Amino acid sequence: MNIYDIVFYLFAAITLASAFVVVTARNIIYSAFSLLFTFFGIAGLYVLLGADFIAVVQLMVYVGGILVLILFGVMLTNKITSVQIKTGTLQVIPAILGTALMAGVLIKIFTGTNWHSQMAQYPTKTTAYALGHILLTDYVLIFELLGILLLIALIGAATIARKEEKAS
Amino acid sequence: MKQYLKNTWEAIWTVLVGMKITLKHLFMPSVTIQYPDVKVQLPDRARNRLYVNIDDCIGCDQCARACPVSCISIETVKGMPTEDLGKTSNGKKKALWVTQFNIDIAKCCFCSLCTYPCPTECIKMTDVYEFSEYERANLLYKFSNMTEEEVAVKKENFAKMEAEKAAAKAAAAAAPKVPKPAPAAEATKTDTENK
Amino acid sequence: MYNLLNNLIGNEYVAAVIAAALPLFVFILPFALAAVLLERKVSAFMQDRLGPNRTGYRGLLQTVADILKLIQKEDITATDADKKLFNLAPVLVFAGCYAAFAAIPFSGAYIGADIDLGMFFIVAISSLVVAGILMGGWASNNKYSLIGAMRSAAQMISYEIPTALVILSLVLVTGTLSLHQISEQQTAYFWNWNILGGAGLGFSKLLLIPFMIVGFIIIYISSLAEVNRTPFDIPEAESELVAGFHTEYSGMKFAMFFLAEYANMFAVSSVVAALFFGGYQSPFGYLGNTLGISWLVPLEQFFWFTAKGMFFVLVQMWLRWTLPRLRVDQLMTVCWKYLIPYAFVNLIIVGLITLL
Repeated sequence: MNIYDIVFYLFAAITLASAFVVVTARNIIYSAFSLLFTFFGIAGLYVLLGADFIAVVQLMVYVGGILVLILFGVMLTNKITSVQIKTGTLQVIPAILGTALMAGVLIKIFTGTNWHSQMAQYPTKTTAYALGHILLTDYVLIFELLGILLLIALIGAATIARKEEKAS
Repeated sequence: MKQYLKNTWEAIWTVLVGMKITLKHLFMPSVTIQYPDVKVQLPDRARNRLYVNIDDCIGCDQCARACPVSCISIETVKGMPTEDLGKTSNGKKKALWVTQFNIDIAKCCFCSLCTYPCPTECIKMTDVYEFSEYERANLLYKFSNMTEEEVAVKKENFAKMEAEKAAAKAAAAAAPKVPKPAPAAEATKTDTENK
Repeated sequence: MYNLLNNLIGNEYVAAVIAAALPLFVFILPFALAAVLLERKVSAFMQDRLGPNRTGYRGLLQTVADILKLIQKEDITATDADKKLFNLAPVLVFAGCYAAFAAIPFSGAYIGADIDLGMFFIVAISSLVVAGILMGGWASNNKYSLIGAMRSAAQMISYEIPTALVILSLVLVTGTLSLHQISEQQTAYFWNWNILGGAGLGFSKLLLIPFMIVGFIIIYISSLAEVNRTPFDIPEAESELVAGFHTEYSGMKFAMFFLAEYANMFAVSSVVAALFFGGYQSPFGYLGNTLGISWLVPLEQFFWFTAKGMFFVLVQMWLRWTLPRLRVDQLMTVCWKYLIPYAFVNLIIVGLITLL
């Protein structure tokens, strides 16, 4: 067994276990913090897949940005001390239907894909250059459109936040 | 825009000025006095532990009356007319045996008000400031240098004299309240310490 | 480093463990011991005091005594604290700081992991610290801790932006994100440092100098904020928040936060040194090269790197005892209204110059 295999199984275990906690934990804070480990594990898996740039972006965007945003959302919610921040089980039947559908699709993909198995390995060459090249040549339109979309979202968020301030 | 650039410039400049000042202080000699090793020279009129030169004390009780926190307690017994109690250093004749001269230094507020009325200047502030104790009782300084036996003798003498007087006058003179025998055993010890 | 150890020992597991543990014992622990003492001594001298001088010769063993005390102390957990998260938070914070050391090039021969995205990795992994601080603040179940954690996270996230922008402008100049290569490019003399326009020659080098200085100032200020140092120490403002997010921590857990703070101080200082001041490169050429002793060069590089890092740590301390603490709104003003616009303008100008 290669050391990279061990690292792979470690990261896979972290990802799966924490993802399980994210779904099952009744305390939102626990869910949020296990999400941290899920993201972290996924970043590790990306590294082992040779996608180092994606891995670091994963850490930066998801852990540094989105997760902290979620945590802020939970922690800054008003009257957090008086309300039990726990999730319950509701909408059982639609949930079962949705899960079944999702499971079906996933099973189809699992069985239908021709899995390309490769040794987990340490990335020797950075993907940053290639990624940048592709983004600014082949996919430049999509890249720009995404940028505009994000800008719109940003302006929209700012507008909403401002309106509220004026009303109060 | 102008204000913006000015703010930026000012921020950087003032930080640099401040850093220059702290850098200067980095190389200045320290002003710390390493207290237990090095003791600071106290000013002349520093007010610290009280000391009583009991040989000069005439038992006038003025210091005890001046004390705002009543930390001085003095008890005296009149001397016999035949006895010679000695003189103070500035020539006053003593008339009272100072059987008890206690200063509870724990109560003392170091106002120095007791030192001014003293006619013989026997109570004074010293420059001793390290007198912490593990027991509060140890902070009760006993300055009287008379032993218990001596005190008892003097009291007896006085009572005898009073009794004689009373007998002689055969009148109900105001009997002095009988002072309790004061434990003055340590008085001498404290005295030497004060030196 | 791992490859070297692997060749040396022949067992990849042992090599991995040693490579992972080496910076901690070789560098971070001694550094933290030295830096805490330095901090106390520097603060004392700046205030015309003497500082600790009873333990060991002139107080040299003071921090050792402190650490021994911290190890012996009772490990207190508040009754209403969230035990799991409370215990996990210091580990996470320390892990985040420690992971950054993997990509820091101590010398040409000693880098934990010589990854090509080194700089980017260091910026990204520090988000673990943010999460850990939030976790600690929340789990303590204490309003001071929570407010401190919130402030800390808000501050660290805000100041990541100017840092990233300056790093980006540096990347435009150097063309790589690897700290190793960035250091390697600024070869052995100080006029090749990036703060003086990098190793290239010609007109663009001269043009770059003022913008590099601006970039250096921006990244230094934001790195101060990222490690919660004065004047940006509002997350642990003693007068308002007791000790911020680690108010409830004691004993070894507190020591871990403490260690992480000092490790982080060195990490950001060394990043600044590597980006702008030649990293491990000597400013005057190498004695080893002149004498023809090749094994001396990495040691010299290690020395220079540590010296530069320590110098910037010293400047952090210097600033700490110079400036008062900023208010929260001032803190955000400095970041969003001053540093980020300047960083953007700087980025654009540096980009234009590199196109020349």
